[in-house]
Formats: sequence, C-alpha cells, structure tokens
Amino acid sequence: MTMTRLAVVRLIAGREIRERIRSKAFRISTGVSLAFILAVAILPGALSDDGPTTYDIGVFGAQAERLAARLPVVASTGDNLAVDVRRLADVDEGRRLVESGDLDAAVGDGKVIVERELGFRLGFLVQEANRQVVGEAALAGAGVQGEVAGRVLMPRPLEVSALDPESEAEADRKGLVFVGTILLYGQLLGFGYWVASGVVEEKASRVVEILLAKARAGQLLAGKVIGIGVVGLAQLVTFVIIGLITASVSGSVDLPAETISVAFQVVGWFVLGFAFYACLFAVGGALASRVEELQSTTTPLTFLAMGSFFAAITTGGDPSGPVAKVATFIPFSAPMVLPIRVAAGEVVLGHVLLSVAIVLVSIVAVMALAARVYAGGVLHLRGQLKLRNALRAGRGDEQPASAG
Amino acid sequence: MLELIALSKRYGEVVALDGLSMAVAPGRIHGFVGRNGAGKTTAMRITLGLASPDAGEVRWKGRPATVEDRRSFGYMPEERGLYPKMTAFDQIVYFARLSGMGAAEASAAAAAILESIGLGERSGEPIERLSLGNQQRCQLAAALVTSPELLVLDEPFSGLDPVGVDALAGVLRTQLDRGAAVVYSSHQLDLVERLSDEITIIDKGRVVASGPVGVVRRSRGVDQLRVALEGGWTAWAENLAGATVVGHDGDEVVLELLPGGDDQAVLDAARSAGRVRSFRREAPSLTELFREVVSS
Repeated sequence: MTMTRLAVVRLIAGREIRERIRSKAFRISTGVSLAFILAVAILPGALSDDGPTTYDIGVFGAQAERLAARLPVVASTGDNLAVDVRRLADVDEGRRLVESGDLDAAVGDGKVIVERELGFRLGFLVQEANRQVVGEAALAGAGVQGEVAGRVLMPRPLEVSALDPESEAEADRKGLVFVGTILLYGQLLGFGYWVASGVVEEKASRVVEILLAKARAGQLLAGKVIGIGVVGLAQLVTFVIIGLITASVSGSVDLPAETISVAFQVVGWFVLGFAFYACLFAVGGALASRVEELQSTTTPLTFLAMGSFFAAITTGGDPSGPVAKVATFIPFSAPMVLPIRVAAGEVVLGHVLLSVAIVLVSIVAVMALAARVYAGGVLHLRGQLKLRNALRAGRGDEQPASAG
Repeated sequence: MLELIALSKRYGEVVALDGLSMAVAPGRIHGFVGRNGAGKTTAMRITLGLASPDAGEVRWKGRPATVEDRRSFGYMPEERGLYPKMTAFDQIVYFARLSGMGAAEASAAAAAILESIGLGERSGEPIERLSLGNQQRCQLAAALVTSPELLVLDEPFSGLDPVGVDALAGVLRTQLDRGAAVVYSSHQLDLVERLSDEITIIDKGRVVASGPVGVVRRSRGVDQLRVALEGGWTAWAENLAGATVVGHDGDEVVLELLPGGDDQAVLDAARSAGRVRSFRREAPSLTELFREVVSS
C-alpha cells in the first residue's frame, strides 16, 4: 500500500474539486458571476443600438420661427443628435411644459428654460441655433444674405486628422481588460478565501487530526490549493469563453486575435496570482481555529488585495503612470496590473518578464511560509494563534496535545 | 508488535513524556490509563507521526516505524472529526484511499464496514445529518476500513451509553480475533479492567505500572478481604491485629491485610463474632490501584 507523494496530493485535490463543485456556495457564486458577465457582455451592444438622442425643444417669442428652422439644421451637424421642435404661445407655456417634463428646454427672447441645468449637448443645440438666428439678422442688416451668409453662419466642419487614432479593437480590448481585471480580482479573493475557510473548517471539525495521520501538512496544503485553484481556473475559463462568445454575438466587441490574447493573459495571471494569494490565505486559515476568527486573520490580506485592485483601476486610467510602474513589481498587484498595461501597450517585455520572475520567487517564498505556519497551526485547535508562535511550532512540526 | 521505546517530549517548560516505553502485541488489547495531561494523547500522536519525540523511537514489527506504516494504522483521535457536508460513504472511501487503498478496493471496503456497523442504508447521507451516535460509528469505521494491523483509539468509549460500550467492545473483539493489535485510552477504569489484556498506567509522562491486568493489580498495594456476616454485623472488625478496615460495601466490610497479617486469623475473628455469609480475598481493583500509584 505504498503511495507516492504526488498521489496523496492528487487525492486531496480531487476531494476538494468534487466537494467544491457540489457545494451550494459554488453554484450561487457561479450564477451571480455569470449574470454579471452576461450583463457586461450584452449591454454595450444592446445600448449602442438606441440611435440618436432626441431633444424636445419648445420655441416662443419674436424669433420662434427662425429658431424652429435652425434647430434641426444644427442638430444635423451634431453626433447622433435629433430634435423635436414645438411652437409655444408664450414663455409661460414653455415654463409649464419644461416643468411637467414634456419639454427638455424652451427657447425664446434671449433665454432658455430648463429644469435643472443646460447639459453640454442640449447647450450646444440651443446656443448654436440662437447664435445663427442672431447672426443671420445681423448679416441681413449688413446686406449679406443667401449662400454667403450660409457659409459664414455654418462653415464646413473641420476635418479631423488623428495621428494615433484609437481603433475600435483597442477600445474593445481596454474594456475587456477592465472586465477581466474585475473577474480576476473576484476569483483571486473568492477562491483564496475558500482556501482559508477550507483550512479552518478542517480544524474546526477536527478532521485535520486524522488527515495529518495520513498525509503531511505540506501535502494537505498543496492538495487544497491545487484543488480549489483548479475549480477557480475552470470557472474563470468558462466565464471568459461564455463572455467573449456572448459579447461577439451581441455585437459588443469583435473577436480579433488580440482579444484572445488578453483572455489568455488574464487566465495566466490568475494561475500565478492564485498560487501567491492562496498560500497567504492558507496562512490566515491556519492561524484561526474557528470560522469566526477568519475575518481578523485574513483582514490584512484582503486589504492588500483591495489596494491592488485600486492600483489596477488607477493603471487603467494611466497605464504608464507612477502607480502603474510601481504596482508592476509588487507581487500583490502585479497579477491585476500587468494585463492592463500589456493591453495598453505601455510596458516593455523586459519588465513583464521581471514582474513574472518576482511573482514566481514570491510564490516559492509564501509556499514555504505557508507550509510552516500550516504545520505549526493546523493542530492548534483552540483560539487564535499568533504568527510568530505558529512559525516556531512549525519548526518542531506540531502543537502540544490538548489532553492526555 | 508496536513498541514505544523511551519516548520523551517537552513543550517548552511542560514535560509531556519522560522516557515512556510500552509494547502492544498482535491480537492483544492494551489499555492506556492516566490522569488528564499525563501524556496519553501525546504518546498516541507520536505513534501516528503527528508529533515527533525529542528522544526515543516508535518501532513497528521490530524496526523503526515508517511513514507508510503509520499511514496504515487505524486512528481515532480524541477530538472526533469528519467533514460535516461529505457523505458517510465518500468520507470512508477518502480515508481508505489516503491510507493507500485503490479506488475499487476502497469503495468495497467502505460499503462493507458501513454495513457491518449498521449504517449501510444511511451511507449516502452527509455526516451532519446523522445522529451523534452514528457519527461516532462513522468515526470508528474510518479507523477500521482498511482492516489495519494496529488500532490506536484515543478515548473511544467516551460519550457512549452502556449499549454503545458493549457494541464497541464487540467490534474491538472482532478486530482482535483477526489479529489486530489495539491500544486505547480511557478514564473508565472498570471498563479498562474488564476489557484489556494488558494495561499501562502513566503519570507525568512516566510509566508507573504496566503488564497484564491481573499482574498489575497484584504488583502493588496489599490484598483486600471482603467479609459479610449475617445481619450485617461489622463492629467485630474494628481493632483487629493483622488487618485494618478500609471501608464498607453494602453488608460487606472491606479490610486490608497488614504486612505479615493472616487472613485465617481474620476469618476466625469473624466466625467468633457471628455467622459468616461470605469471605473473599482479592487484589485491589484497578481504580484503587490507580488512585494509589498516581497520588504517591
């Protein structure tokens, strides 16, 4: 009945995978995450089909007719703008209809009535129409009319020549990376916490003493991290595939090769990030002896993960800024920041490789730390354990027997 | 044969084991007795490899116990524990496989052991839905599923009612019959006395008495005389020359023979006082012996 170490780890990981997938918590989290992903994948495509924004504008006063004629012309020069013009008896009717919400604005006699504020697009519409009406009258007074007046009032718009235009694919990719980062953060924290709670559940239910009679602490730890990691990875890959297919079908994004590469990066960084975070979460689990104590033993880690997430958001806004540069080389934040910087093309390959190397070295270090604290803390079945004591006990491999 | 040889273990200032030695032979059941904190659990954990001794060693079949040996041992820790949400069957299969059994073999063994302890029909239910008694049976099944050659049971009888005690004793008898070596700890000394082939009494990490139950009982202290006279008359026993009264048990007066005392002289004294209904000479009970050795 000899068994290799690997076979023991495989057995332990296998149990984790089976029991996690069967658990209610897993099904609920999968459902909630899928709903989020489907919403993110479908909504942009669905919302962009709405067509132009139509404003209801009333006109009154001496220039009412001229304004009514100018508003649609101005709207036609705007981006996705349309206007529905109504002629009003007087300023009071305008006030009443704006108040009741029937009109977005009422214009005449040198003023515009709106409910709260004149937004940028509505402002552009009414101010430009007013400028043209006033200008037309002034030009006519100076004897300028017809085509010449038209050219003065409405010159041909400037031709835009962008030196480095953002392609649609690039915009898609940025959006994808952002969603990918949220997913990555959720998976790292969610499944990391599962490792911690899995460790403490085995302690709280006392099953760990039988387990330790059958397997070494290091094997238990490795099996647990690998098993839960495999479930997290499978879930993430499923989310990414379903998300990408849905997004491309609903027209939210195109699926060029670049998009696929972003997906691979997010998945790859999950593997590295999870190995790192899961070992630290295992430490948090080993220091607690009841589920209630987990909160306090994992709080520092949760804060570091949240800080890293905010660093990733900041990086999204400024992929080559100081936060982005520093966060690239910190193992906590690198997994969340790097996909964003790579997608933005704002990091050189050498830095990517250096970052990967830093994370790999950190993984080895936290694994050694976790194995020792786990060995020291896992038989500590009562009360919260101090990290220092767990490390000391981990050297001797055990805790004092509670009785006998 | 399991041999613990001169095991010592300290936790900081606390001495848990101080040169403890004992042996358990195949087909024999060994009771392990001591006060709380005497070192029983530590000795068992060292046997299973859950703790390592500062000095001394654990030998199995005449050589140092290996990781594989220890994995094959059946173990029931004092702190009972199973995965609450896992089914009884899956759980037993899992422990069987961790002990080194193949998948098919483990399934068959788990089904058989659950059937034999009367949980066959409920084997598909999560542990948390079973009664405490049935959870305890599952715990035992986890220790027995591989038919281990050595069973280490830490307080296996605690929390059992008399029917449960008899059932567990029956299960252990079956294990002994197939040649397993069993070592268990218990606070119920009358039970240990009845059930064990050998016992070891430890105090502060040291063995204070060890050997076959009868031998240990006779090894220390002095024999007792239990005498009952018709009518429950007991005053005759006061101020005898060769024995002192140590207590009364119903109609019986319990006397301890003093060194050089003669039981026949006591019998004569009793006969002259009245009609003797019963007269017995016996070694002190394990409980009495235990009190004596751990308080000295």
